[in-house]
Amino acid sequence: MGSSKEEITVAERNPNQEVEAAREAFEREFERFARFTGSGVDISLNDANTEQRALAELRTKHLGKKSAIAGAKKLIGKVAPEERASFGQLVQQTEGSIAQRIDEAEQSLKSLIEAARIERERIDVTIPGRRPRPGHLHPITLMRQRIEDIFVSLGYAVEDDREIETDFYNFDALNIPEGHPARDPQDTFYTTEGFALRSQTSTVQIHAMQRRGAPVRMIAPGRVFRRDTPDPTHNPMFFQVEGLCVDRGITMAHLKGTLAEFVHRLFGPDTKTRFRPSYFPFTEPSAEVDYSCFNCGGPGCRICKWSGWIELGGSGMVHPNVLRAANVDPGEFTGFAFGLGIDRTCARIYQLDDIRLLFENDVRFLEQFR
Amino acid sequence: MFISYNWLRELTGTKLSPEEIRDRLTNVGLAVDAVADRSDDFIFDVEVPSNRGDCLSHIGVARELAVIERSQVSIPKSEVSNVSGKTSESASVEIRDVDLCPRYAARIVRNVKIGLSPDWLVKKLEAIGQRPINNVADITNYVLHEFGQPLHAFDLAKLTDRKIIVRRAAKGESIKTLDGVERKLEEQMLVIADAKAPVAVAGVMGGEFSEISNLTTDVLIESAYFNPSSVRRTAKLLGLHTEASHRFERGTDPEGVIAAQSRCVALICELAGGTATEDALDVYPKPMQTMSVALRPARVEAITSLQVEVDEMRRILSALGFGLRAEESRALSFDVPSWRHDVSIEEDLVEEVARHTGYDKIETSLPPAHHAGEYHESEERKRALRRALSAHGFGEAINLSFIELANDFELISAFNAATSVVTLTNPIIEESSRMRQTLLLGLLNSVRHNLNHGIREVSVFEMGRIFGSNEKGSLPLERESLALVATGGIQEADRAQPAREVDFYDLKGAIEAAIEAMNLPPLTFEPATVRHLRPGQSAEISANGARVGTMGRLADLIAVEYKFRQPVFVAELDLTTLLEMSPQPVLYAPLPRFPSIVRDVSLLVNRAVTVAELAKAAADQTPAHFMGATFVGTYEGEGIPDNKRSVTLRFEYRADDRTMRDDEVDAIHWPVVEALKKQFNAEVR
Ligand SMILES: [Zn+2]
Repeated sequence: MGSSKEEITVAERNPNQEVEAAREAFEREFERFARFTGSGVDISLNDANTEQRALAELRTKHLGKKSAIAGAKKLIGKVAPEERASFGQLVQQTEGSIAQRIDEAEQSLKSLIEAARIERERIDVTIPGRRPRPGHLHPITLMRQRIEDIFVSLGYAVEDDREIETDFYNFDALNIPEGHPARDPQDTFYTTEGFALRSQTSTVQIHAMQRRGAPVRMIAPGRVFRRDTPDPTHNPMFFQVEGLCVDRGITMAHLKGTLAEFVHRLFGPDTKTRFRPSYFPFTEPSAEVDYSCFNCGGPGCRICKWSGWIELGGSGMVHPNVLRAANVDPGEFTGFAFGLGIDRTCARIYQLDDIRLLFENDVRFLEQFR
Repeated sequence: MFISYNWLRELTGTKLSPEEIRDRLTNVGLAVDAVADRSDDFIFDVEVPSNRGDCLSHIGVARELAVIERSQVSIPKSEVSNVSGKTSESASVEIRDVDLCPRYAARIVRNVKIGLSPDWLVKKLEAIGQRPINNVADITNYVLHEFGQPLHAFDLAKLTDRKIIVRRAAKGESIKTLDGVERKLEEQMLVIADAKAPVAVAGVMGGEFSEISNLTTDVLIESAYFNPSSVRRTAKLLGLHTEASHRFERGTDPEGVIAAQSRCVALICELAGGTATEDALDVYPKPMQTMSVALRPARVEAITSLQVEVDEMRRILSALGFGLRAEESRALSFDVPSWRHDVSIEEDLVEEVARHTGYDKIETSLPPAHHAGEYHESEERKRALRRALSAHGFGEAINLSFIELANDFELISAFNAATSVVTLTNPIIEESSRMRQTLLLGLLNSVRHNLNHGIREVSVFEMGRIFGSNEKGSLPLERESLALVATGGIQEADRAQPAREVDFYDLKGAIEAAIEAMNLPPLTFEPATVRHLRPGQSAEISANGARVGTMGRLADLIAVEYKFRQPVFVAELDLTTLLEMSPQPVLYAPLPRFPSIVRDVSLLVNRAVTVAELAKAAADQTPAHFMGATFVGTYEGEGIPDNKRSVTLRFEYRADDRTMRDDEVDAIHWPVVEALKKQFNAEVR
């Protein structure tokens, strides 16, 4: 009896109604997916994935082999021949529109998922780049290299020699006579064997002239030692650059020209130089050299102690006794020499208020220079 | 030194403003540091070069100003109206050491009335920072600042037997100086003594006993010329620096002794009353010789490039006191004034002409170039070394060259135990009396400094000289050394948290990178016992078979001494030797045309077997197509017996004409592995 009842039911509903019912069923279930085709959809990646699976199930249910539409397709051959064409068309149309709706929703979901995935993998481009923390060269090295570069380009050879010296190189040859205050153990370090820690890089002038003869052009950067008690402006060890140019016909004009060129390159082309008469045992005539303040350019500031000028160092024409000590004939050759403090120049440029920091090697200090 | 504008005006009638004087004096070599504006005067702070003692007075500065302004200095008159008797009748002067005291003049003023100085004198002294005392003392001080000649006034009544004896101090003598300090004298010091005892330290400071007091009636005025070095030595030994010693040290005018004394005596008679002796008792056994120096005018241009008329040279020099002695066709000969101890050669005269013509008139030009510049031969490699180390996160340190003891440190081979330490006789920092034989002490101090300031990540290197003495009496050895220390974490830029802790291989890697940057052949590291390093984490470093340094973890005993609570890794290398090595030639090798086939093999070996030994044994195998083995990693721990470890190597095989087949490779590979297994009694894991 049961089976006859079913038959009756099937027989009672016409095929067109079957298809209509399938469409309605689809519409009901599809409703929640329709929103994905719109704009401004807000959905998490997780939910989107779930919906994608649900949509695939929906497709199987409404278009798969066991779907109502598949059942309707089988009926096409069974309906009356005169209705067959229009029924077939209806089935096809319905199937087509369901498939299209699902395709559209699927496509939208796919883009939503893609977009969500990209969003998920977004990185913070402002996080610092990955690299080892770089080390730093000592400010004295940096300054020495700059000075060497300038003088090498001006045709000078870089020379060096001993740090522990005989009296001959440290004093006699530099025209510093016996009894001169510079020789006093109060000012110069001596070893128990009676050698002196060089108190100026001028010692290299003598070595260089002995090695190279005249003419000669050289600079000698290096460590020197004087018995100064450490304080904010003194260290018992510091760095100097000595310069020497000996040739036929060298005059003070060449000294001025060379140091003017040097400060132009180190501090800028507008820097002026000033030469003041002074006294050093190893030069005659002698001159103190100042350069116009790189910070204020003249009117005065804290760096130049309100004078507009900063001391560069000592200079002058090589004393004939110094030339003779190095076997250079002062009748034939003249020359100029100069000495600059590397530490002091560093202190000025970097505005160091305590030069003891230079040899403390505090990492926070060293890191500041490059 | 303070110089009064008003006083200069009295001496030269200058028309220049204080600012102009400041600039003009600076231009001739008397740098004026500051001009102080007082109510009715301007005071210059003049920096006098150490060779220009003659400018340590108003007359000295006025002389320079007169040359600048083409004017004259009017030396104040010193006429004494009230005189009676000869000085030699009332006192005697004996010089026992003429070398230290070439001239001594004494003169007496009787019946003076000691009291306060008149206002004008007090004002003048106060303007230049001098404290008035009494009229006689003030007058000697005033004349010192006027003429530059230090004078001393003795209370004649206090001089035993009225005798002045200029002699060296006797052994054990002492004197209470004017400042109230009892001072022990040494035999090399020159003193002024009476018949009994020293009454003054010559040229430095008078004694308290013979000082002028309110009860003084008769004074003896000393004016002398003392040997500059002797005064300097004495002042230094006594730790005294006075207005007098400052001038005597730089050389006063031996011929100006009497003029200054007369001026002083005249002022005393005028301001304190009294009667002066007729003349000075002037002991000057060997008068100074006047020196003459020739100047060839052409040399002025040859040295300075300044073109100066001969007339102008003559004017400048004569205004400075140089007397023209002779004039020949090509040279002028000048007598050097007695106050100019700094002039002895032609170049000195050139400087006089140049500074009064103006250094600013000298043109600027570069010397003609016919030299090529050159760096020090090692500079290129040193720069590469520095760059490599700083790229590896090492900061460059510089330490003082003086250190304390270094007993616990093994020195680089060039400074082995046979070399003794270079010691200073006069260190400035207590206990730091040795010249460093190793850079490590300085760097460890730097580590300690940083740790004490809360910085626990410290990676620094230093390049510098170390010193040793190998032979008595010969110059010490100097060698360049390179040292590194590393402790704390490996840091990344701009990140607070270190990536991990520093270990041995970080330091080793930095050294290897530096050596590579210098283009030197690779170094060899072998396990070794090194005094200052922790056993089992220490290596000896060699280059071309020669030992060049050591590296490893700082020994616990030393770390404890420095209070290091984290591992510290150190290395030191003989940089001189490294820089003497020839760089590796860089040659192109053709690129392989076919890919290599690799096989990783883990060998279970005794812990004592090193990776270097395994790699060397592999490299010693030379079948065709075997390209070598490279280190992959080690493993110890779970599954590995305690006395063993597993070392993984990657073996590489390649043919030049084809991609090798697996079976081909296997046929070569396994015999190589077998050989290693046999040699090291190893198993393949
Ligand atoms: Zn400035």
